[in-house]
Amino acid sequence: MRLRCGPPPTLLESGGRLRPGRESYNPPGADACKEAPVTIMKAVSLVALLLVVAISALAMLLALHVMALPAGLQPVAGPLQLSAAALGLAIIALVAVAALQRGPTSVQAPVAEAVRPAPPEPATATKQADAEIVAFLGLLQAKGRLVDFLMDNINAYNDAQVGAAARVVHAGCRAVLDEHFQIVPIRTEKEQSRIEVPTGYAADEYRLLGKLTGQPPFTGALVHHGWRTDVVKLPAILRGPADRLPAIAPAEVELK
Amino acid sequence: MTARFSLGIDLGTSNSAIAVSDLDSDQTRVIDVAQIVGVNQIGTRQTLASALYLPHPDEFPGGLATPWADPGEAGFVGQFARDHGALVPDRLVTSAKSWLSHPHIDARQPLLPWGSEIETKLSPFDCSRRYLTHLRQAFLQAERDQGRERDLADGQIVLTVPASFDEVARSLTAEAARAAGLGDVVLLEEPQAAFYAWTAQTGRAWHDLVSPGDIILVCDIGGGTADFSLIAVTDRQGTLELERISVGEHILLGGDNMDLALAYTVQSRLEDAGKPLDSWQFLSLVHAASRAKITLFEDASLSSAPIAIPSRGSSLFASTIATELDRATLDQVVLDGFLARTGLEDLPQEGRRGGLQEFGLPYASDPVISKHLARFLTRSLQNVRASEALSALVGDRANGAALMPTAVLFNGGVFKAEPVRARVLDLLASWNSGQPIRELLGAEPDLAVARGAAIYGRHRATGTGMRIKAGAARSYYVGLESAGLAVPGMKPKVKALCVVPQGMQEGSELLIEGRDFGLVTGRPAEFRFFSSAIRSGDTPGLILPDAERELEETSLLEIEIPALDDMPAGQVVPVRIDAAVTELGVLELWMKHVNSDRRWKIEFQVRTE
Repeated sequence: MRLRCGPPPTLLESGGRLRPGRESYNPPGADACKEAPVTIMKAVSLVALLLVVAISALAMLLALHVMALPAGLQPVAGPLQLSAAALGLAIIALVAVAALQRGPTSVQAPVAEAVRPAPPEPATATKQADAEIVAFLGLLQAKGRLVDFLMDNINAYNDAQVGAAARVVHAGCRAVLDEHFQIVPIRTEKEQSRIEVPTGYAADEYRLLGKLTGQPPFTGALVHHGWRTDVVKLPAILRGPADRLPAIAPAEVELK
Repeated sequence: MTARFSLGIDLGTSNSAIAVSDLDSDQTRVIDVAQIVGVNQIGTRQTLASALYLPHPDEFPGGLATPWADPGEAGFVGQFARDHGALVPDRLVTSAKSWLSHPHIDARQPLLPWGSEIETKLSPFDCSRRYLTHLRQAFLQAERDQGRERDLADGQIVLTVPASFDEVARSLTAEAARAAGLGDVVLLEEPQAAFYAWTAQTGRAWHDLVSPGDIILVCDIGGGTADFSLIAVTDRQGTLELERISVGEHILLGGDNMDLALAYTVQSRLEDAGKPLDSWQFLSLVHAASRAKITLFEDASLSSAPIAIPSRGSSLFASTIATELDRATLDQVVLDGFLARTGLEDLPQEGRRGGLQEFGLPYASDPVISKHLARFLTRSLQNVRASEALSALVGDRANGAALMPTAVLFNGGVFKAEPVRARVLDLLASWNSGQPIRELLGAEPDLAVARGAAIYGRHRATGTGMRIKAGAARSYYVGLESAGLAVPGMKPKVKALCVVPQGMQEGSELLIEGRDFGLVTGRPAEFRFFSSAIRSGDTPGLILPDAERELEETSLLEIEIPALDDMPAGQVVPVRIDAAVTELGVLELWMKHVNSDRRWKIEFQVRTE
């Protein structure tokens, strides 16, 4: 397999990695794949947060809908505040994850080293993983203006303006999800219906809440159906800048 | 050569795709195409955007990462070329394929991007070669990644062209494929490919879904072009036989026109409301309107779909414009605008021609697809009536005002929307005195052509499976200057000699007997070349009195014969015309010396000016 970049040497030759099986396109030098699980986890947590953001934005739109009712019909506790709060929380969480991104990687690195021989170029590999996360954020920005949405001061605008912007974010980010993942609910039953949790369930797929007693299999009300993806098909990032992470979005300059 | 696989290539006007069929299994797979999707980003897509971006020499300092070693050709192809080029239109080449079939340009001249003044331009031929080169590399790379090292010499390669392409555009396409390293490819008409895909998708059941006497309309509307064909089903000793009996004209009208029309409608409303859009916002409006269209067409319960248009700056909240597309507007613009319920006698309007026109692609001047379809069905009847064999084939159906199909197969992205299919079916039924026309349910209208091409390649390589009888889609003629007295103010009429009859089969050759022509030796000689898609009855050797009135001029033919040893330059030698359609479906014309075995091939030359 020979797949080349342009003239200068590439990051990829040394730090390329392979995503598990599903990708039809493999970047060159893809035999070392030690960072893969971390990157996937990061990508998935980003997606999860993104979904929360999307849901909150949607909830907000719904709320806007309610507010459009004649004054006498307005509910007392505005759902708008609630969803704004949810959106705020989501933003905080996203920022937290962004800030913590380096955290888990550096914490896990020594553990991993104890298990296997020292990876050849850990610095480069980490950098490649980080570059891919930044590039994914770049995708959400390019298609769905997510970074613009989150970095703007939301308090300065009214709900109609926020609602209009949310539509841009929703349409674009949804297109990114549809293109690069295959997102499906973990459980297909209706929420609030009673379901049985499989014995020996995967801990990342189920979270049991409330009163836990007795023997598995457990049964209970499905509060949230969960989400998972079987496919991650992100573009390969070839040849990033050598001494920094790639830009999330370029500065645009129009020439006349 | 024993082929081990068959590769189908759909070189589309706006998107291209490839599919491969292994001959030792019965699987046909669409191959994802690796392409540049962003600065330093390579991704795969089911289709390759047929767009080529020619960067400024100082744009992208350090160069862009490419999916494979680049031989150093100018520009790049694919998704990023289209996305980025949309904002730098001077440097973006699109619709190269339509330029390849342009009747008045030389496709080998560096003309694209059209009307732009950038330092290096490319010819329509080179652009097609670049797309095909990209597809070839993407195929080899994708197979290599799966552990298969493919040799193209082991493959049957089928490249699709619009049925409306004339011989010049076909041979340019075949030559572009050779120049792209694909070797000698077999050409297949896109509507036929869509039909092969449909038969493969339905399996054996297709035999039950059509029956002798059926006439199937393949209605293929892509992003930028509409292409129609009719296929007749007959019974020959108990087996179904299919024959392509008519092809349409090259119509530059498609789904992109619909999206643009929607965007213009929404834009003018916004302007009335005091919200003007800049060109960047207009582009995002086109995308948003297209999404809203899909939403409304997919969910009949919605009465409107929201549209939000962001501004260019980083503040999303301050300047996003919110509006909506309502169903009445959608129906009015797309269904009633492009697929109006017009009568069968209502044919496309020729646009009023101003004295001076801007030269460009010959876009359809009438946007109503219904009228183009009516014209196609009317012309098809004319074509069928011109030949006894075809008249016998369609029987009673030749009696109406147009040749009405009994079933329709839709292809192209536009027909993903059920209401659009329903409207066309409605329209056809209204032309068929209320009798409904069946729909043959296809799948994956974006990928069916590539898939069908691979399946046809399999049938061809293995000698099994159904083949549509097709042959030459048009009849071809060489112009003869008539010898006559010169009359001031009267241009002498050009006669036309039929050299290739419609339906002439692949791998056949015919000599026009009993008629010798004088050919000048020692200096170049030029011939005018004409064609027609509606004269199925013309036989080789037939002479039409007025070529310009009855036929379409296709190109110039050129031949230069060195002076024969024993004759002075300028000597006229007697020749006969010999026409062949090669196994690959390419038309060849030869001049055969009457008194010796010598013969000379005539090359298709530049388009007429």
